[in-house]
Amino acid sequence: MAAIIEVEKLTKSYGGKRGIIDVSFEVGEGEVFGFLGPNGAGKTTTIRILMALLRADSGVARIAGLDAWEKSVEIKKLIGYVPGEPSLDPNLTGGQILEYFANLRGGVDRAYLKSLIQRLDLDTGRKFRQYSSGNKRKVVLIQAFMHKPRVLILDEPTNGLDPLNQQEFDAMVREARNEGRTVFLSSHILSEVEKTCTRVGIIREGKIVRIGGVAEVKAIKRYEITITFGDAVPADAFKSLPGVNEVENIQDGRTVRIAMTGPADAVIKAAARYPVVSITSYEPSLEDIFLRYYEGNGHVPQSATEGARV
Amino acid sequence: MFSSIYLKTLRGYWIAILGWGIGMGLIMVELLAGVSALIATPQARADLAAMAASMAWNAEAIKADTPGGYATWKLGTFIVILGIWPLLAASRTLRGEEERSQMDVLLSTPRPRWRVAVEKVAAIWTALAMIAVIMALFAYGAALKYEPDITFGHALLFGLNLALACAVIAGVALLVSQFTHERGPAAGITGALLVAFVVVDMVHRVFPNADWFSRLSPIYYYNLSKPLIPSFGSNLGGFAVQLVLALVLTGAAIWLFVRRDVGDVVPLPGWLRRVQREAPASQALPERDWSLGSVYARSMGQIAWATFWWTIGVAAFAGWLVVVLEQMASQFQKLAATSPMFEQILQQLGGSGAGFNETLLSLMFFFMPLLLMAFAVTQVNRWAADEDDGRLEMVLATPQSRPVVMLGRFAAVTTSTVIVAVMTMVAVLVAAAIAGVSLGTGNIAAACLGIIPLALFVAAVGYLGAGWLRTAADTGLLSFLLAGWFFITFVGPELKWPDFVQKLSLFYYYGTPVLHGLNLGDIALIAVLAAAALALATVRFTRKDIAT
Repeated sequence: MAAIIEVEKLTKSYGGKRGIIDVSFEVGEGEVFGFLGPNGAGKTTTIRILMALLRADSGVARIAGLDAWEKSVEIKKLIGYVPGEPSLDPNLTGGQILEYFANLRGGVDRAYLKSLIQRLDLDTGRKFRQYSSGNKRKVVLIQAFMHKPRVLILDEPTNGLDPLNQQEFDAMVREARNEGRTVFLSSHILSEVEKTCTRVGIIREGKIVRIGGVAEVKAIKRYEITITFGDAVPADAFKSLPGVNEVENIQDGRTVRIAMTGPADAVIKAAARYPVVSITSYEPSLEDIFLRYYEGNGHVPQSATEGARV
Repeated sequence: MFSSIYLKTLRGYWIAILGWGIGMGLIMVELLAGVSALIATPQARADLAAMAASMAWNAEAIKADTPGGYATWKLGTFIVILGIWPLLAASRTLRGEEERSQMDVLLSTPRPRWRVAVEKVAAIWTALAMIAVIMALFAYGAALKYEPDITFGHALLFGLNLALACAVIAGVALLVSQFTHERGPAAGITGALLVAFVVVDMVHRVFPNADWFSRLSPIYYYNLSKPLIPSFGSNLGGFAVQLVLALVLTGAAIWLFVRRDVGDVVPLPGWLRRVQREAPASQALPERDWSLGSVYARSMGQIAWATFWWTIGVAAFAGWLVVVLEQMASQFQKLAATSPMFEQILQQLGGSGAGFNETLLSLMFFFMPLLLMAFAVTQVNRWAADEDDGRLEMVLATPQSRPVVMLGRFAAVTTSTVIVAVMTMVAVLVAAAIAGVSLGTGNIAAACLGIIPLALFVAAVGYLGAGWLRTAADTGLLSFLLAGWFFITFVGPELKWPDFVQKLSLFYYYGTPVLHGLNLGDIALIAVLAAAALALATVRFTRKDIAT
């Protein structure tokens, strides 16, 4: 698979403050690439350099073989873009905004544009300022997809979307992938990336710490299960089970909190031997996962940095 | 400085406090110091007093042959310039923060809404007081040398009077901003009201028995006090009216702010409300909307209303100048016959060889470039704010090059400037025809169209500044530059400042086109400088990081 996005040793600082440092990765054509990282990690900086909104201090960013800064106009003919914090003229209606951006792109397939409006159920007659954050996000998503771009660069695209529209968005990304188009999607939500992406890169504190297939990232996905039993249950009953990292007894031993990675099958089966009152599972934030996975001291394990050199 | 909303807001004003305070303070020094050169002989003193009296439309001439009286008269309609900061600050403080959704966060803190608004207004008032005190200190410092009769108390009262007038203007802006979705229209409407207030106040000095009408303007009460003329003193009633007006307007604005939806406007009565129609599905995508076809077209669409109102305002002002021309001409002609100094001023303007109407109009046309340059500043403000607010990011994500985006916007400003200038020319010629005033058509065209390069120079410099500066700093700097140029040209010739100083002012290159037509060399120089500034601005914009 030929690389359509190539980033080599990209570095950007804001005055003396860190932006990104020596970021390198490649995205193949037709790939859905997830760009993961906690808030402030450098995702938006990387994306804004790709969009030629920021100029890198050093390093190279290419899209379709063209330098992102030098050939930005040619590149933008190929790209659909969703910014992290969309800001548009508040006095224009959604329809006017879409019409304006369609004209700036030299015209679009109007039937396809209308179908996108219907799919996301957008009322185009309201002014941008009157929209909820979810509807504002819909306008921006539609303008990114409406010209069927070869590359979609989406910075946290589902912020503010309700679950139904998130599903519709997932479907739109799948369709783009099926048509051979490339999607570069940043997020700080691990499960969102899991659903749609084939490969992911993880950035933390301005540096790429891991790049690999989704399965590899799933390996670091850690979640917690809290099980409340009718009677006290020993923690040892779960400690040796596959995937279990930590077990903690709380509330007189009747509640067990289990931190784990991988499938929960063994834990569920073990719990079934006791009278279960309730069971809840939650996915910690990416930052929380990173803090634990990378031992919370900024130290990146050797295996992770090796993974970044792809 | 972050312990309260009041201190945090005040912290954001320190550049404005120092800039406006020191800048205006220096102008006070110049005015108070400058009069001594004008009253070297008894005849010259009499001439100055006579000239000031004949230009009472600008300001009431009282003891204009003394430093305090001269400064008071010369400042005249100066409140329009001083009013720029309070109207911008007040329209930005609540509405601006709502636009940026910062108000949501602020109102999520455990403070009542009224208190948030009161603290913000208190910060503006404190800033105004500080600007006034700095100006008063400068005025007092100059008075120690040039007019010892002016005490520190007089200087402070002068500052207080200014601060109260500015607080009224801020109150108007704050109230207007409760009815607009954005800060820009609130500032624009308040600016127009401020000009209207000045004109209404002017009326009683031009037309007899019109005092009742001028009382409708808050500026009338500002002009009741002349603290720098110790024998005239201050009018406590004028102070009180201004204070009450400021409190009532601000109180009404806060009362409305507390009751309305955050981010929305005060609902108008049904008969005043514009009907909001849902766009039918067939028109959901307005394919035939002319303003959506390109960056230039969109930019024109954005500033269409501003262009309309500025055209009305500037053209009407120019037309009014022509209509009152005949009335003023007879008074001026008498003065010219008896006052050698006024005769000299007219000769400086080239009056001896030209018709008297043109000479007088030339004198009054001095304000026209200032108006169009102010329009350019508002457009610079819009451009800089669009980047600050992140509105350029999406446009630059389309296959439009940065030069196209920037020059498209500039082309729209150019078009608007040309429209205002051409319509002003038409208004002057039509007014002259109606009033039966004889004016040279060619020179009137030169005077109106000659303003265009000046306004575009200001816009280009502002665009260049926006390459580095945030909106407030850029427009603040530009406004200050404008005020500086204005005063160099306004007082420079009288103070016999060296030629190179007078050439620092943009107005110098405008000359006296009503009398002599345009000096094409000077105008070409400004056009070239504007083009150079625009080219540099484009290069800078092409290379810079786009703000988020």
